[in-house]
Amino acid sequence: MTGIYPNKNFIFGILGIASFFIFWQIIGHFQLAGLSWPSLTDVLKFLLDPERHGLFIRATVATFRSAVMGFLVGALVGVFLASSAHLLPILRDGSDRFAAVINSVPSIALGPIFLILIDREATPAGVASIHVFFVVYVSMSSGLKSATRDHEDLFTVFGASRIKQFWRLNLPYSAPTIVSGLRLSWPAALIGAIIGEWFGASRGIGILIINAMQNFQINLLWSAVLIAAMMSLLFFGLITLLERLAYQRFR
Amino acid sequence: MSNASIVIENVTKSFSIKGNKEKVVAVEGISLSVMESEFVALLGPSGCGKSTILRLISSLETPTEGTVKINGELPKSMVSEHSLGVAFQDHALLPWLSVWDNIALPLEIANRPIDTKLVNSLVDLVGLRGFEKARPKQLSGGMRQRVSIARALILSPKVLILDEPFGALDSFTRRQMNIELQRIWSIQKITTVLVTHSVEEAVFLADRIFVLSIRPGKIIREVLVPFDRPREQSIMRSKEFHHLVDELTEALDSTEEINNFDRNISQ
Repeated sequence: MTGIYPNKNFIFGILGIASFFIFWQIIGHFQLAGLSWPSLTDVLKFLLDPERHGLFIRATVATFRSAVMGFLVGALVGVFLASSAHLLPILRDGSDRFAAVINSVPSIALGPIFLILIDREATPAGVASIHVFFVVYVSMSSGLKSATRDHEDLFTVFGASRIKQFWRLNLPYSAPTIVSGLRLSWPAALIGAIIGEWFGASRGIGILIINAMQNFQINLLWSAVLIAAMMSLLFFGLITLLERLAYQRFR
Repeated sequence: MSNASIVIENVTKSFSIKGNKEKVVAVEGISLSVMESEFVALLGPSGCGKSTILRLISSLETPTEGTVKINGELPKSMVSEHSLGVAFQDHALLPWLSVWDNIALPLEIANRPIDTKLVNSLVDLVGLRGFEKARPKQLSGGMRQRVSIARALILSPKVLILDEPFGALDSFTRRQMNIELQRIWSIQKITTVLVTHSVEEAVFLADRIFVLSIRPGKIIREVLVPFDRPREQSIMRSKEFHHLVDELTEALDSTEEINNFDRNISQ
């Protein structure tokens, strides 16, 4: 029943989102949660008002650009470090600890350091890349170790060099787990970009959120959050598709 | 059949297990040699260390005592010359490669040119023409083992190592695969060591059979198989075949008795 008919999960997903929106609307409409919870239609009216198109599009593009930059840089560094630690086991302990330390420092505390080290406008991408790095590093490291003992033995007996084994066995084996890591790290990249914007970027969703909070612009706040959620979900969904392809291809 | 190809002298292999001070002796005082172009089977109950012997020959383990030499060299140098072929019980095919690419993989590993003719001839040899582009997950268990046998042969190895290659197959497919392997082997005559716990498989395929006892693994019996090659399926129904199978089964049962005896004493 694949192909024309959407699968069960898809239908349940749609139903879930629809009921979420309905609850949102009901709570907002009857002000069940007070004044700070507007109805969905109010938020959409605010969000889709042509007068504010420019504002929202500029903010979205800025945040998206930062998140993507951070995503790419973080993923590259994660892949590079995980590969190096796999090929040169002497690096393993050090790189594991480095990743753990990076991850345990709250990114909000790293922000000021980025501000000093790199440009104000690059700080969102920097914070995003930190988030992505850790997830990609961990998922690739475990992916590189996931080949079975028989596979490893086979390569050993055929006389494969470490590099050969890496390219022909471990790397393809870890491809699906890398994609899983990318999927999980995209929302983290977005959070990183938004937090990074709080350190003085000139535009972005994070700036809208801060402004809305300070000026009690409820509809603006909810619009910004809605945009962030949409950006997150859209890419999360796309990478999920990619992940499915990767599992079909490599497992 | 004159020169010894594999010489194992007085080999003992023990493993230390975490949290346990005493070492586990997997095989003890093993001495055996395999002649060039000879097919030898190691037969024994599970846990008798027969796979350990294969791992010693294929350089995956080093002996605690004694020596293992292949053509006068250490297994490690045979491995770096890409002179060993191997097939396990688990086919260990790469799921992202086609049948053809899986068979060609060892050439790639050995940095040798991908000889299309050679790969095609092995595809034919194991009877997989028409399935070259299929992925391992699209194949049956028996077909996957055919691929893994072809892959073991592609480097024209000096020694072929087979660790229960048909152990996971049903008995019918297993017999078919034995007949196929016998046919293939009769063409190439590569020095081969097969580990199995199937008596019929050992008798049908091997020139010589070593029976091992359990914990620690020791050779308790050596049997020459008198059948000429190529062997027809019909020999499986002959009197001599059954006689040999009975004899070996009895030898195997005696290892179980020794084991039970040990267990009773320790209780």
